[in-house]
Amino acid sequence: MEIQDIIVSHDNTRNHLDGVSTTIQKGKITTIIGPNGCGKSTLLSVMSRNNIPISGNASLENKDLVHYKPKEFAKKLAIVYQQNDAPKDLTIEKLVSFGRLPHRTMLKRNEEEDAEAIEWALTCTNLLEKKDTDLEALSGGERQRVWIAMALAQQSEILCLDEPTTYLDIYYQIELLELVKALNEEHSLTIVMVLHDINQAIRYSNQIILMKAGQIIAEGAPRNVITKEVIKEVYGVQAIFNEDEQHGFYMVPLGI
Amino acid sequence: MTKKIVSFSIVIVLLLVSAVYAATTGSIKMGFFEFIGALFDEGNSQMEAIRDLRFPRIIVALFAGAALSVSGVLLQSVMRNPLADAGVIGISSGAAFVQLFIISFFPALFFMTPVLAFMGGAFACALVFALSWKSGLSPLKLILVGIAINAMFTGLTETFISLGGSLNTSAASVIGSNLTMRTWKDVSTIVTYGTVGLIAAFALYSWCNLLVLQDKTAKSLGFHVARARLLIAAVAVLLSAVSVVVAGVISFVGLLVPHISRRLVGHDHKVLIPFTALAGALLILVADTIGRTMAAPLEIPASTIMAIIGGPFLIFLLRKE
Repeated sequence: MEIQDIIVSHDNTRNHLDGVSTTIQKGKITTIIGPNGCGKSTLLSVMSRNNIPISGNASLENKDLVHYKPKEFAKKLAIVYQQNDAPKDLTIEKLVSFGRLPHRTMLKRNEEEDAEAIEWALTCTNLLEKKDTDLEALSGGERQRVWIAMALAQQSEILCLDEPTTYLDIYYQIELLELVKALNEEHSLTIVMVLHDINQAIRYSNQIILMKAGQIIAEGAPRNVITKEVIKEVYGVQAIFNEDEQHGFYMVPLGI
Repeated sequence: MTKKIVSFSIVIVLLLVSAVYAATTGSIKMGFFEFIGALFDEGNSQMEAIRDLRFPRIIVALFAGAALSVSGVLLQSVMRNPLADAGVIGISSGAAFVQLFIISFFPALFFMTPVLAFMGGAFACALVFALSWKSGLSPLKLILVGIAINAMFTGLTETFISLGGSLNTSAASVIGSNLTMRTWKDVSTIVTYGTVGLIAAFALYSWCNLLVLQDKTAKSLGFHVARARLLIAAVAVLLSAVSVVVAGVISFVGLLVPHISRRLVGHDHKVLIPFTALAGALLILVADTIGRTMAAPLEIPASTIMAIIGGPFLIFLLRKE
């Protein structure tokens, strides 16, 4: 996906995205990080067409995003938002089946293909055995996986995740990021996500986009983007970095 | 699953029992077997009276109840608000006012009453939507706006009737809801439009199910949220407008019935819409029959009975919010 000179303003007083250009590489995990209010979620919502920019261009496979029909676009890109609502008595399978909507028309639906895609999505997210369980009976981590399963059932090439770990305990955070990694490696999904934790971003991404005040400060491989100077500049935090064979590259924040 | 089947069976049985009871009770009384026998006997004079007076009333009550309840389900889905009801938020009174107003000036348009009522209801619905959209359709705000719109249209209607004096008595009868003296002509109106509305509502069940998702999530699935909202709201307005035309304004049905129905059969609109239609039909028939027989020959309108039950119920729901 190509993003060029995007400007977005939610209130017409300041630009929440101020001339952002980047390229999302196919088959890679790209993570957008940055302090609160830096525009990372806004950038994600431009990619998912939930935010229409004032100016600039976003295109996928050489076609402008605005020229895609809604269902056609939903077959290319799926997104899971941070917070999700659904009735308590909905079963997992039922919710996941909503993900098949882009593949259906008023008159045509391929039951077999739908069933296969739903089963695949449930298997990937390790929910197959629980498919008849109501949503209310699930833990926070499981519930987040259900929404990811719904997005997977869309069978899109790109999967966007807006702060998927925010409301989860550390155990479920890692479980979820491992799932994301597996989806990328085994099913070659292109992943674009927003994360808060810098170390998680380093560990689980091929590419990092670091943002501040509506602009991209640095982007590239984690090792190249995350440096002492940049972290000081963007977050105002002193940190040291370490690399060893066992644990890879990681950051230890020291103070402000 | 069994809970759903049991719920459906109980409602259907109660519906049949109440229909027979309603048909055989009143100034003309009949036993059950006598009634069944008379049903197939052309010459029975008592049965002729029941056929002309009670049957239309029963059918109107059934359809009005079904239409109003399903209209409530649809509005609650569109507005994502468990408190939405065509009567409470002014759609019914908007329909009643516009219909009364236009018919008074252009009596020749009488055959178009359902259309006029639909226009009035749609106008009221659009007003409520526009005025509470900014607050993100917050449940309480929407109800407050709706109550204000309802008060306004009710006031306009009453003013209009007062000024028009006795000229408008026939038109005015639609305002105070009373199911007495319904004719087979009323039946054909509500059955025609009501059936169209109910079938349309059921056809839209999968859209109603998708509207429980947040707008942005539904949009990301390629779902036309705005288009679905518009269409579902239109069907909801049609259903409430047609019941206003034939049965007058009856509030709270669309609030009470869907709420209880969700408890019994769940949130899936494929099951919820048919169940609500049956339960709503039952409720209005029972309310009307109680009102008719409790203090005979005096009659308490079904809408009054609904207000007495519905008021406290709304307070209960508000406290739970």
